[in-house]
Amino acid sequence: MTAPFKLSDFEAALVDALPQGEVREALTGRGLPHRRVEEWKWSDLRTVLARFNAQRVPLVLEGTRHPDFAAKPASEHLMPRIAAGLGGEAQGFTLEDGETLRLDFAAQAGAAHQVLEIRVPEGVTATLQEIYTASEGTFANIAVAIIVAPGATLHRIVEQDRAEGAVLVVTSEIDLAKDAAMNQTTLGFGAKLARLETHVTHAGEGASLRLDGAYVVGEGLHLDQTSLVRHTGPGGETDELFKGAARSGTGVFQGKIHVEQAAQKTGAQMQHRGLLLDEKGEIDAKPELEIYADDVVCAHGNALGAIDEDALFYMRQRGLPEATARALLTESFLAEPLDRVADETLRATLLERLRARLREVA
Amino acid sequence: MGLKMLEISNLHARVEDEDGEGKAILKGVSLSAPAGEVHAIMGPNGSGKSTLSYVLSGRDGYEVTDGGAMLSGEDLLAMDPEERAAKGVFLSFQYPVEIPGVPTLTFVKEALNAQRRARGEDEMKAPDFMKLARENAAKLSISNDMLKRPVNVGFSGGEKKRMEIFQALMLQPKLLILDETDSGLDIDALKVVAEGVNALRSPDRTMLVITHYQRLLDYLKPDIVHVISAGKIAATGGPDLALELEKDGYDKYIEEAA
Repeated sequence: MTAPFKLSDFEAALVDALPQGEVREALTGRGLPHRRVEEWKWSDLRTVLARFNAQRVPLVLEGTRHPDFAAKPASEHLMPRIAAGLGGEAQGFTLEDGETLRLDFAAQAGAAHQVLEIRVPEGVTATLQEIYTASEGTFANIAVAIIVAPGATLHRIVEQDRAEGAVLVVTSEIDLAKDAAMNQTTLGFGAKLARLETHVTHAGEGASLRLDGAYVVGEGLHLDQTSLVRHTGPGGETDELFKGAARSGTGVFQGKIHVEQAAQKTGAQMQHRGLLLDEKGEIDAKPELEIYADDVVCAHGNALGAIDEDALFYMRQRGLPEATARALLTESFLAEPLDRVADETLRATLLERLRARLREVA
Repeated sequence: MGLKMLEISNLHARVEDEDGEGKAILKGVSLSAPAGEVHAIMGPNGSGKSTLSYVLSGRDGYEVTDGGAMLSGEDLLAMDPEERAAKGVFLSFQYPVEIPGVPTLTFVKEALNAQRRARGEDEMKAPDFMKLARENAAKLSISNDMLKRPVNVGFSGGEKKRMEIFQALMLQPKLLILDETDSGLDIDALKVVAEGVNALRSPDRTMLVITHYQRLLDYLKPDIVHVISAGKIAATGGPDLALELEKDGYDKYIEEAA
């Protein structure tokens, strides 16, 4: 590095609070992720947090039951490591067959860090529903480690409520064993900066992953959905569908599927579709496939567009007011990933939340 | 003679193009259609038939430069498309638009109740709506399954046209404009659609049937036939005029206009 590196007050406060060690050194040397770091080029965490209050506040975690162990997951990524260094006692849940665990995360002004581990034991089918809310001036940094054991199935729903003036980083690291399945669906409305980052280590050999998301970003809101799926064993399936809409806000989609040489016969596809609702809306997308195996079926697609004017006129001609027609068209566009949620009640809840938000934004 | 449901006078309109210049398409269309009558508008390609339907229904991209159009004495051209719909304008599209993700019945119910609200009427209750939908669907051999599918998605040409007539039956417009409703239909589909349209004939309703060919008119039996050419009404007559066009073609009118 040529220019001398200067920590922001926020970063300096984080460094002071961290115990001596690698994480503290890494943060001292590089600071928080920023726009010149390729994986964060559209989400400049460092700049956004520079004037935030670093005073630690507890994260309020309300679950339908108490944690049953203290987690100690190790991560190679900076944000989860900071969370581990500052988050106090990590919490862990072992899901039972047929269980739906709902966790509500809330944080008040200040910096909150939390580490969480979810285990889905062999053969168990369970649902995890996470709801993230944050008030203005909050920085919430949450690390979620998930282990889906052989033959287990996890349905994971992540809802990120609109959080004006807050910064939220949720980094999930998922270990998907052979013959396991995970279906993840996110619905997000953005924050000053929100990033839902998902890493999956996909063992293949009968394992399947569905990674879906819908987002709506209104004025002044930013939501980044970044994912990396790493296929390490043969015969795995991955299916990703992300759809989003932006009105004077920013949506970021970064999706990467990495297929190792050992992961022959992998079937993977990733689709992202964005709808720009006005001229100030922005959607940045970077879908990537990195394939080292020669016998795979992988595809990705990405498209941005505006509301279909022909459809809009057709609906108005039948009597729907323009605003209603726009909201209905936007809803039908965004509902597709949510329609893939198997549980009828959860699906209906997500659609209703989407509809309510579109009444304000579309 | 009933009240003048539709009164178009000296209507001039141009379509906006990319450089903002605009190309004149309608160059003085006048016609008057009382309630209860079916008027056919025939003409060669490019004569302005579809433009007329879009100008009457309020599509963006068309600029009225002179003249006007009144529906039951109200200035149609001053209204938004949805206001015109609530006043009773229904355009059966030549190419009905697909709307993925919106079930047909949901769409029709939203449209019907939006029109009723705009007119200050109470919304139709769900059981009444369902009963009406089933009755009208039966008239057009439309299955329940089709009603649940997203609007026009994956429908054949004939199914789309039947769905347009189904929507007209549900919405009961005062002015029904059929834009090339016969295009893309085989003879069986044409008969079903024509029967549906005939079920909509009423002393309280005016129909404009825009078509290139005679064959739909064999079933619909218009009261008046207009020939439109180069943006103007070139001739007006009875049903015989349509038969004459079928025999002699549009050449005579194209030459006159040129």
